[in-house]
Amino acid sequence: MSLSRAAGVRPLRWLLPILVLAAAVFMPFFTGPYPLAVARSVLTYMALAMSWDLLLRSGQISFGIAGFFGIGAYAAALSALHAGFSPIVSILAAGVVAAAVACILGLVILRLRAVYFAITTLALAEIFRVIMQNGGDVSGGPEGLIMPGLIFNGEAKALYWVTLAAVVVAGLVSAFFQRSRVRFALTAIRNNELSARSSGIHTFTWLLVAFVVSSFIQGLVGGIQLQGYGFVSPDSVFDSYYTLLPLAMALLGGTYSTAGPILGALLLGVSAEYLKLKIPSGHLVVYGIIIVLVILLMPQGLYGVYRARVKALAVSRGGRHG
Amino acid sequence: MSAGRSVKTRNVIIWTAVCLAAAAAILAWKPSALIYGVQRAGLYAAVAIPMALVLGIVHIVNLAHGEFMMIAAYLAYFAARLLGLDPFLALVPVALVMAVFGLVVYLATVKHALKAPELNQLILTFGIAIALSQSVNLAFTSQSWKLSLGYVSASATVGDLSFGTFDFVYALIAIVLAVGLRLFLTRTRFGKAALAVGENPRGAAIVGINVDRTYALIFALSVALVGAVGSVFLARQAVFPGVGGPYTMKSFCLVAMAGVGNIVGVLFCSLALGLSESVINSIRGYAGWSNIVFFAIIIATILVRSFRERKA
Repeated sequence: MSLSRAAGVRPLRWLLPILVLAAAVFMPFFTGPYPLAVARSVLTYMALAMSWDLLLRSGQISFGIAGFFGIGAYAAALSALHAGFSPIVSILAAGVVAAAVACILGLVILRLRAVYFAITTLALAEIFRVIMQNGGDVSGGPEGLIMPGLIFNGEAKALYWVTLAAVVVAGLVSAFFQRSRVRFALTAIRNNELSARSSGIHTFTWLLVAFVVSSFIQGLVGGIQLQGYGFVSPDSVFDSYYTLLPLAMALLGGTYSTAGPILGALLLGVSAEYLKLKIPSGHLVVYGIIIVLVILLMPQGLYGVYRARVKALAVSRGGRHG
Repeated sequence: MSAGRSVKTRNVIIWTAVCLAAAAAILAWKPSALIYGVQRAGLYAAVAIPMALVLGIVHIVNLAHGEFMMIAAYLAYFAARLLGLDPFLALVPVALVMAVFGLVVYLATVKHALKAPELNQLILTFGIAIALSQSVNLAFTSQSWKLSLGYVSASATVGDLSFGTFDFVYALIAIVLAVGLRLFLTRTRFGKAALAVGENPRGAAIVGINVDRTYALIFALSVALVGAVGSVFLARQAVFPGVGGPYTMKSFCLVAMAGVGNIVGVLFCSLALGLSESVINSIRGYAGWSNIVFFAIIIATILVRSFRERKA
């Protein structure tokens, strides 16, 4: 921290995010409908990637992103159809429902660790899918639910800004987790849970907080997705695509950071759209290979490599001056 | 040691009794559910046992396990279509090819992550699974392919109940695998060495066992075995890129239920799950829920186990 201040990097820390955000906010005025749709899908994955990273910081890996994403989509659809919630309120409800489900399930499954937790989250996504598939008239069964209309009557710009808002929420939470004492708690749990507990950290509480918050964001994004497409079915929202892509993005960009998942989502999200057009079936192979290569060659991700470079530079400069 | 063994024997007896009681109850209620349950259990166990081998000795959770089976099934399909080989004859060449393939995958990827944190290993094999299933998707599309063999529709009639008998092959294979691996690990020189590596790699290295080679060979063996199962799998089932995924998940759950390193336990757990799945399946109107019961039971078991381990 003090090193980067000495090297004069500090203004960049605030300026860069603000410039990027401003560019993102004003983007719809300068682009056509197709780039806007691509940008919105990139933002969707970006929020999911950041939310996944939140829980990863505690050392728990979730393969259930699609599960809570799907819960959010269904919660938004059902609350809008049956409780008459307005689209924006239904999106918030989606986040709250996903968080509540995560909280109840978390009380049980967060007692599991490492691979047991990971496989359980994978199974959960499947369970949610089966429930919605067999939910009869309530969930619409395999055909799913169709909304009477789209949010803002299908106005693409407004929808884009709502998605951007979700990304901002995810980014702020991620940055807060990174700069407050939460970071020490989660990092301590990740490094050694026993020693974390003996230094007075309520490990279970922090794990639950991380799990609930990350599920809230996933549910929120699921709700926005529903309102954007006006349609939800078990196979569309519980697709492993929504687990795989965010995971690959966060890994490539660099885990345990806010900038990493953003960087990864920008790189992979844009290429994802291109690949989807070029190779309709089987383009996911690219993400499998990226995941394998990143883990083997660059487990700290692109941002991690960059951060290590900056640190090395600052140290060498500091050495010369002092 | 002797105390441990007697507890183990007692557990086996208790579980056998529980399974027999459940089987008798199901037999009285709906005989067909019992038959299909046993057949299902056989397939689950046959796929899960090679995973138990790798987890017990190399200590790697191989999330690409089901994908290896899927690739073997494709190989068997081509062997049948191009060379006219029956899946049961193709079993040996497919297993050999898969052993080489498994070895290559191990040397190229898993080997370099053995010392990495567990999370990295998990993500790595997840990535391998995606890469394998999606390259097959890329090459052969997601269309499902199937052989139509006469003997798979063999059936038998007992009283007024008639049922398919071919699927008992899976149960047979599972038992052969479990017994064969047990003999291999306790009777052969390499098997004993592998068991030693599984229990304590450093100690094994000190007494002169080549740990690296043992890991590589056991991984290759596991892929070869699941490849053989995949070849037989094709005789009855259709094959498509995503066919392996659910088996990876179910296999891991079964291995976790049985306890790491307990190969015979996998048989019992498979039986319990196969039976409960087929019971749900045979209740009219609830067939779609059978998957969820499977996962609910598994999660409950893993939880109970983790609590028990914490207490111990």
